[in-house]
Formats: sequence, C-alpha cells, structure tokens
Amino acid sequence: MHIVVAIKHIPSIADELPVRHNNIDFDSVDFVLNEWDEHSIEQAVLIKEAVGGTVTVIGVDVIGELDNALHLALAKGADRAVKIAAEEPGADSHQQAKWLAEAIQNMSPDLILSGVQASNDLDGQLGPLIAAYLDLPYIGGTSAIEVTNGKAMVLKEFPGGIGMRYEIALPFVAGVQAAPKPPRYAPVSKVRQIAQTAKVETIEPGEGESGGLRFLKMAPPVVTGHAEMIQGTAKEIAARIVELLKSRGLL
Amino acid sequence: MLTPFEKFVFFILALISAGFTLHGFVTIIRTIRLGRPAPPLKNLPQAFWKAAVTVLLQRTILRTRKLLSVIHMALFFGLITYAFVNLMDVLEGIVPGFDLVYSGKHVPGAPLALVRAYNLISDVMSGFLLFAITVFLVRRFILKDKALTYRENVLLYPKVKAGGPHKDSLIVGVFVIMHVSAHLMSQAFRLAEGPDPWMPLASFLNSISGASQIGVHIAWWVSIGWVMFIIPYLTRSKHSHFFMAPVNLALAKQNPRGQLDPAIPLKVIDGKTFEPGARVITDLAWKRILDAYACVQCNRCQDVCPANFYGRPLSPSALEVNKRYLLKDATFGGHPELLQAPLVEKVISPEAVWSCTTCYACVRICPVGNEPMADIVDIRRRLILEGFELDSGVQSALQSLATNGNWMGKGRRLRGRWAKELEFPIKNAAEEAVEYLWFVGDTASFDERVLPNTRMVARIFHQAGLDFGILYQQESNAGNDVRRVGEEGLFEQLVEQNLAAFGRAQFQRIVTTDPHSFNTLRNEYPQYGGRFEVEHYTMVLLRLLEEGRLTVKQRLSHYLVTYHDPCYLGRYNGVFAAPRKLLERIGVEFHEMPRNCENSFCCGAGGGQIWMGKVPPGERPAENRIREALATLQSYAGNGKKQLFIVACPKDMIMYSDAVKTTGSEGKIEVRDIIQLVAEAVGVVEPVSEAGA
Amino acid sequence: MSGDVMVITEHMEGKFSDVSFELVGKARELAEAFGGESIALVLGGGVDASVFASHATLHVADAALNHFNPEAYARVIEALVKERSPRLVMFGWTVIGMDLAAWLSGRMGVPCVAYAKDVRVENGALIVSSQAYGGKLIAEVSPEGEMAIVACLAGSFPAEAGHGSTQATVIPSPVDLGGLKMKFLEVIKPEAGDVDITTQTKLVAVGRGIGGKENIELAEELAEKLGAVVCASRPVVDAGWLPRTRQVGKSGLKVKPKLYFMLGISGAPEHLEGMKDAELIIAINTDKKAPIFNVAHYGAVADLFEVTEAMLELL
Repeated sequence: MHIVVAIKHIPSIADELPVRHNNIDFDSVDFVLNEWDEHSIEQAVLIKEAVGGTVTVIGVDVIGELDNALHLALAKGADRAVKIAAEEPGADSHQQAKWLAEAIQNMSPDLILSGVQASNDLDGQLGPLIAAYLDLPYIGGTSAIEVTNGKAMVLKEFPGGIGMRYEIALPFVAGVQAAPKPPRYAPVSKVRQIAQTAKVETIEPGEGESGGLRFLKMAPPVVTGHAEMIQGTAKEIAARIVELLKSRGLL
Repeated sequence: MLTPFEKFVFFILALISAGFTLHGFVTIIRTIRLGRPAPPLKNLPQAFWKAAVTVLLQRTILRTRKLLSVIHMALFFGLITYAFVNLMDVLEGIVPGFDLVYSGKHVPGAPLALVRAYNLISDVMSGFLLFAITVFLVRRFILKDKALTYRENVLLYPKVKAGGPHKDSLIVGVFVIMHVSAHLMSQAFRLAEGPDPWMPLASFLNSISGASQIGVHIAWWVSIGWVMFIIPYLTRSKHSHFFMAPVNLALAKQNPRGQLDPAIPLKVIDGKTFEPGARVITDLAWKRILDAYACVQCNRCQDVCPANFYGRPLSPSALEVNKRYLLKDATFGGHPELLQAPLVEKVISPEAVWSCTTCYACVRICPVGNEPMADIVDIRRRLILEGFELDSGVQSALQSLATNGNWMGKGRRLRGRWAKELEFPIKNAAEEAVEYLWFVGDTASFDERVLPNTRMVARIFHQAGLDFGILYQQESNAGNDVRRVGEEGLFEQLVEQNLAAFGRAQFQRIVTTDPHSFNTLRNEYPQYGGRFEVEHYTMVLLRLLEEGRLTVKQRLSHYLVTYHDPCYLGRYNGVFAAPRKLLERIGVEFHEMPRNCENSFCCGAGGGQIWMGKVPPGERPAENRIREALATLQSYAGNGKKQLFIVACPKDMIMYSDAVKTTGSEGKIEVRDIIQLVAEAVGVVEPVSEAGA
Repeated sequence: MSGDVMVITEHMEGKFSDVSFELVGKARELAEAFGGESIALVLGGGVDASVFASHATLHVADAALNHFNPEAYARVIEALVKERSPRLVMFGWTVIGMDLAAWLSGRMGVPCVAYAKDVRVENGALIVSSQAYGGKLIAEVSPEGEMAIVACLAGSFPAEAGHGSTQATVIPSPVDLGGLKMKFLEVIKPEAGDVDITTQTKLVAVGRGIGGKENIELAEELAEKLGAVVCASRPVVDAGWLPRTRQVGKSGLKVKPKLYFMLGISGAPEHLEGMKDAELIIAINTDKKAPIFNVAHYGAVADLFEVTEAMLELL
C-alpha cells in the first residue's frame, strides 16, 4: 500500500495580503501548509496505521520553505518526503498539479490524497487536476477512507450531514475534507529531530503549464455595508443585544 | 535492672529491629537511586547546615497554620528528646545500677545538675508529646479536619483511598501515647523514695500508682518494645518523613525557582540515554523520588493550589502520597513491576496533570522542600511526546506557536501592528541600536483588551526619553508557558528564534511587559547562551521616576487600591518592591490583600491554562481573588474613593477583568494595569482618536 | 467552437439545488453575449428536468447517474463537452462541482476559474471575479483560449432567472457506464433525532473562536435560553466539535432564520454563503476587522465568552 499525499504551500491568510502587479505580493506574505492538507496527511497516516504501507508526502516548494511542512508530515507518521524545487510562488494549481502528476506517476501509488481545496485555488484544486493528468477518477469532500483488499470505502460529505458511501477500486485520487480524527499534534522535538536526520528528496520541476488565467486585477472586496457596532463592556453589549431581541419580538 | 533472660530477649529483639530498620533504609536509598540524575548540587555541607537550622527553628513549617505548627514543634522537640530518653532507658535497663531517678544519686559520680536537667526536660517533654499527639489525633480522627482529606475527584492509589495514611497516623499516634506513657510509668514505678521534684509528671503518676519493681519491668518493655517495633515500621510508612524531611530540605532545589530542570538529565551516567520527561516513576529525577519519602501529607500544598481550589482533580500532596505508596508496594510489597506502571494511571490523573497552573505555590509552601510541580511538568513532557490527545485549545495554541510564533493564530507580520497606531514611531531594534529592547510578549502584542495598555507603556517610555525599540515580527513568544505545558521542543525552537533575533539587534538590556517572558528570559535563556539583563517594566518605571525622568504631576490619592503579585514576577522572581514603590510614588491609598507577595494566589492562567478550551464549572481562582480584594478594600471604603485592582501582567488584565464581570463586581472594583495609573499620575493621556476607536 | 454556455446542474432526492437555477439564469445571459445557447445538463433519472429557463436542456437519464458518482459524472460531462465544444462550462463551486470542474479542466486542457463570484463578457472577452484567499481578495481574471470552465459560489446570481420550463431532451449516455471504478453504495442520512437547523427560526452559530469542543456547552446554554439551536461554521465541524448536521455554509446547510447570532465566526465566504439571508444577524468577534462585520446587521468587538455569560445572566 503506497499512499501519496500531495500538499500545497500557500500564502497565509492570517496576515493581510498585499497586492502587487495584480497578484499577491509574494515577498510580503508568509507561506503555510494548506489547512486541509493536515487532514489529508492525517487520513493517510490513519490508513497506514490500519493496513500498513508507506506514506509519501510531496509538494511543490514554491518559495523554498516547504521543508518545515514536510518534516511535520514525517513527524506525524509519513515515511517519505519529496519536494519539487520550483521556487515559483505564483505557480498556479495547474502548473503544480502537472509537476506533481509527473512525479507521482513514477511512484506507482495505490492512493493519492490531497486537501479538498486551498484558499488560493483560483484555477481549481490540485486533487482533481492530478487525477485528470494521471487519468484517474477523483472524489472530493471525503471524511473517511478505509482500505481493504485493493478497494477503498469512501465516505463523502454532502450538505446537511448527509453522507454518501462509495466503493472505489484503487488507485484513485481523493480530496480530503476531514480525517475521521482531528489531525494529531507533532511534538516539535520530534519534528526537529527529523529535520536533522530525515532526507527530503528533491525533484527538479519539468515543463509544467499554467492554468491559462490572465490576472486583470486583484483587490480586497469592496465593502458595501457594515454592521452597526455595539460599544461598551460585555455587560453593556449583552444588555443591548437582549433589548434588541426583545424589540424584534425574538424573546 | 533487667534480668539476664530479659537482656537476652532484648538483644535479640534489638538485633531484629535493627535488621529491619537497616533493610528499610537500604531499600529507600536504593529506590531513590533508581531515579534519574538531578541537576548537580553545590556546597552540600552548607546546604545541610542551612537545613539543620531550618529544621531546628521549624522555619518552613511556620509559614502557615501557625498554631498547628507550634504543636508540630512540640512533637518535633519531644521526639528529638525522646531519642535521647530511649537511649537512657536502654542504659537503665542493661547497665546494672544505672538509675537516673532522684537526680542520679544512686549512680556514683553522676553529674547532679545535668541529670536533673535531663530528668526535668524529659519529664516535661513527655507531657508536651502527649499533648501534641492528642491534638493531632483529635484533629484527624474526631474533628476530621478537611485539610487532611482529598477531593472526591483526585486520583488516589488504592491503599491511599482505603485510608492507608490514616492508619499510619493512628499507629504512630498510638505508639507515641503508649511509648511516652510507658516511659513515664516506668519512671513513676521507680520512685520508691517518694516524689522527685525534678520529675513532676512521673511523681504525680507515682502518687497514684506507687513504686513497683514489676511495674518498672513491664513499663520498660512496653516503652522500649514499641520503639523496636516502630523504628523499622517508620521506614515503611509516611513517617519516613521523620528522617527524610531534613535530608530532602538539605537537597532542595538550588537553581532559580524560575528555571525548570531539563527534560533530559544533563548528566549522563554510563552512556545511558533518556527519553525526555517522565512516564514511569523511575523517569523522575532521584530527588523527586526522595520527595515522596519526605512528604507526611500535611496538605499545605493542596491548600494553596489554585487548581485544587477550582475543584480540579489535582492535589500535589496526593501525588506525593501516591508515589510513596506505589514505591512501597514495588519494593517492600514485592511488586517491582509497579515501577513500570504509567504515572498517569497510578499516581496522578491526566486531567490533574493538565490542570496545573505552574504557579509554584505548592513548592514554595512545602515545609520539606518537595517539588510536585516538577513531576507534573515532566509527565506533561512525556505525554506530549507520546501523542496524548491534547485539549483542542492547547493543541491549536501550540500549532500556532510553532508556525506563527504566537498562540493567537495571528500572522507573524502582525506582531508589531499595534505600534502603527501610535503618534510616534517605535524603533525597530533589529535595525538600529537601542538601550532597551522591549520584549512585548503575545498577549500585549495582540489582545485587543490589552493593546491600550501596551501603547500606554510605549507613550510613557517615549515621554521619559527612554531609548527603546521592539523587534516587530522578529519577536516570538518567549516560551515560558510552552515549556511549562511540556512542549520542550517547541520551547527550544522559540528560544532559538528569539536568540537569533536578539543577535541581530543591538541593545543593552531587555525590558518586558510580561512576567512570564520575564521569568524565562531571566532564568532559562542563560542556559541557552542568552545572558541579558532583564527587567520588568515596573522596575524600569520606578527607576525613571526615581531618576526624575518621569515626574508625578498628580498624586492619585482618590484611588483605593490593592495589588496582585503575578506568580512569575513575585513568587518566582521576588519582584515585590518595584510595583509597591511605584504605587507609593503615585500616591494611591494602597492595602495588601491577605494573600500577598510570596503567598499571592494565582489567577489561574499560567502553565498553559489560558489556552485550555475547557472552562470547568466552579468558582475560578481569579473570581476568588477579586472577592478577596473586595473584602480587603471594604474595611477602608466609605470615603468615596474609587476601588482598583492593580495588575502588572497582561494575562492578569484579562483574567481579572473577566472575573470582575463574572462575580458581578462591576461598579465596585475596576481592574487596571499599573501603567494606567502611572500614565494618569505623570499626565500622559491617550489621544482622543484612539479612545473613541 | 460555439458560443454555447453549458451548465452542469445538481440535484438531490428529486430536487435541483438553487445554484443550478442561478447558473442557468446567468448562462442564458452569457450565451446571448457570446451569440450561442445556454444548455442545462441534467444527469441521472428520477428528476423532472424540464424546469429550467435554458435555451436547451439535455438529460442523460441513465440510472447509473441517479446518485452522484464523481467518476460517472466526470466521464459523461467530458464526452459531452468534447462533443459540443461550448464556449463556457459552468459548475457550482459545491461538493459536486468541486469534484468535476478542475478535473474537466485538466482533461480538456482549458482554463478553470474556481470560487467565481461574477462572470461577465466585456468586448467579447470573458471576465471572471474570483473570491479567493478566504474572501480577503477578489481576483479579476480572464481565461485564455476558446473554452473555459467556471465554478461559481452559490448565491452569486439570482435564481429566479433560471426557472423555466424548457422541455428536456433525453439523450443516451455518450460513454459506457459499465466498468466504473467508483461504485455508489448508499446514502447515509444524518442520525435521526438531531435537529434540522434549516427549519429553526433562531440559531446561535459558533466559529473557531469558541476555542474548543468543551465550550460548545456554553453556546448551547445560551441557545436554550434564546429558544435557539446551535449551529457552526466549517472548522468547528471539521474539528469534530459538532456534528455535520449543524454546519452552515457552502459545504453545510443554507439557513434563513429570523435570528442568526454569531459567536467567534470571522465570516469566510464559505460560511456567508449559508447564512447571509438571515433576517437579523448579530456577530460577536474579537477581531474588529473580521469580514463578518460587513455582513452582520449588528456587531460587537468583544470576547464571546464574556458576552455570552453576561447574556446568560440577563436571560
């Protein structure tokens, strides 16, 4: 069982996002691991823990700082870490997926996982693109994947708590919405130990191809309205809210 | 006095008793040696001398429960005396003609005055002993003092739960009564020539019993027989305290209070490698094992524990008692496999481990120098390493700290954002040299409720012409609470990040608004090569006032205030004077709460508690503290002065502002950072624009 | 290459989702600008496909498509798109569309725009506004080439314009639907007994700011006092603090209560999609710059626990 997890290093939206030349000013933002990737890594490790096998984590190193994320994945139970040394912060999903698909193809994976989406997926997500390039089926929004005898039982989330179960023959690509368990914590000492000993394999990017989107403009959304702000202490705020609800007949 | 046959029996029994005693001590010492290396101790002779003085003066025990401590003193000196008394009794028994009654007049050449003094002291001490032990027995078994019991939710070792410690107390109590009474009776029976004025108690008993040779023999055997039983027994009970407490005091922590022992012993023996932290009891340093033998379960630590107060399942004393019972079963009980039992199953519940605020109150109050808090941190360290499912709040805080360098999930670049809203620029210490590097800390950098105070500190520093700067996004959380929550690796990472940032900066000293950062920067960073002069802002403010760089324009006599010592500023680092002197200069009417300085009561936020998602029910420590403040100020109120609760820690600002609200004390008392008072006194005001924002 | 605009509609349990009508309405407008037709594509039987205002509706009524099967849907759509060469293929950026749009883009080698909020034609060029980066930025992009795929956020366009009665044309599946690797097994309905948040008049919504599973209780206490029910944003549900049935937003449920009381939700587009039509939105958040304050009717920058506890005392 070989599970490949494709991860994405993306600008942190915890900060403000400065814009330059109709795109993010990549020099002025921090890059972080896509939050859904934490779930896809957890899902991969859970499968490995259940049925054995190896987990390879691979990502495009868009700013040269992916090692941290890869070490973290290794600390959480991944076996192998690979980075595609592209150093193109603006590489879009198509381009990254192309590089990743090329690399993954040589790994003969039984299952490929990715985060269901990322906040910078303007041109679509990595998972379905990798699937398309590798001619594999894709299923996103998964909340549980169990593997038995060359097949996977997959639970896909639909709005309102509805789930649909699928039986899928390996290999395929899944976009993980959530792992069955909250992603585990990796103690930093373990991560640091791994950072010192583990080897991250480096692959040079191939040709690649962008998603063909021309950026005309990028700006914060125009704010059309604003809430009437209630000032004061928590008590005053609470009192005002209660009063408000009463006046509206909601209490 | 004894017949040859009696002497024979005595020697046999004494030999057996000595054998068991020796076995007891050897076992204890061997067990202690199973522990890991502890940080090296310096000046041992001096440490033992200091401990001897402390023990003789009962210094550490007199810190609290004054009346009981005096009674303990009677017990202590009584038993010391009795060590000598027993020796004399034995001599009287086996040396023919050795008889000290009537000032030893039957013993040729006996120093009369000395024997009289001995007789009087031993006679009076017997009375004290009987009185003291009766008080303790009444307290435990009749009054059933709650202070000697544990909360329902505290994990107790089965034998502890079944009342083991009470049984010990009863046995020792009965021993003391029987032994002392028997000794007194043996003396009383000897007084064939009427009362001896130097033995008032024995003489009194003699007036009832009369003299009797048989009586002397019986009483002697009861008295000494008990001793031969009790001494080996002591080594197997919580009363190992008698011997181990002084030793433990002598070997107590020598490093600064604010410096945790490393997760892995620095000293490696025989190339042995250690996993960080503690899973089983032998993962603890040998001194932590010694702690268990020194503890007599007085529960003073439990009294001052904020987590215990809050109804959490933590009792530092239960931890020590459980440890000792586990060790007893593992050694004397013949179950060595217990040494491999996880501590979180046998001696402390995981919930208890995670409810410690690391306030140090338990360690400070312990009369015998125990450090239960150190065990807890070591257990946390291993739990984190072994993937224990963390509280979700703690996990997200740690994750954010690892990526963003702060626990709030804020982007690193936003750290210095608060400074942009000032009327003047703050130097970037990473870019230009400054005298003071201001280490701001997470809460003061990000929390909206604290930011006005942070900016006020900046304004006052600015006003005083202080040459200061901050590190903006290059500052990371100092790691104090990260380390205390047990994430040693993350702590080290944060230390390295900060040391790298300090290395890029040019400064002469560090000033910090955060007591937690203050503690680790001052006491722990030096171990990582970061030796700086570190000051708390109250220290700097005081100096600025003393040097006249700030002047009080208006004395704030219209405020009636009390001050809360933050654990990491006060108890840990002894900074009590600076904030108080500041308050004095500002001219407020200041009154101490009953629990002040060393005895300050934790707000409940430290050691990672502020990150916990869970808010358990019950009166929170901070709420209790606000009530204490209100009660303190109440007696001085009535002159229309505004009542303030003064803090000098950003976390306190949050904790106590909350507590004022949740206790419904709004309008009665207001929480203010000391900087707000300084600002008002020196006439620095917030620009109108910000006040309205 | 045609000027057609093809819309991939979505349905569940015999009902089309709102986004399908929104897309069809928009597709009509765009097709007219391109000089082509709008084509609604309906996959799977058991549904009345003649409900759209599209120029044409194609219905592949194969039973293998009755339930959403990502592989089957993808293969059918790929074949039809190849066959018809539309100018634009529109998906909803939904749990269904998200499985298909980018895959199709990769297969066809044509651009794809996700998180689309607006699609328009200017001087013959296609311009798409995409609300990426958690709603912090709007990117205006122009897909290159002669065909493009957009996946639009639900609620971006009015749904009314999409309602109609164009007679659907039933066509056979262009691909063999035997031998798929993906097999649909079953629908798992939420556990009976849990409340249906879509029918509630009052909701207390909790976000990441609630801090931990342990604090949900506090929100529940408040909800009880208000006669409301607790719901949550995605991260809270992903973290397992509340069941999926309580999730509001794109990947959760769409709600329209009389009161939507928000605790510690910053207001990511994903969430706004599910609740912006609530009649009264009150938001408590510690971040004064939280986007939710642009949507809420009333807001307060405060600690949610303090406000909640203060409210509990008053109620």
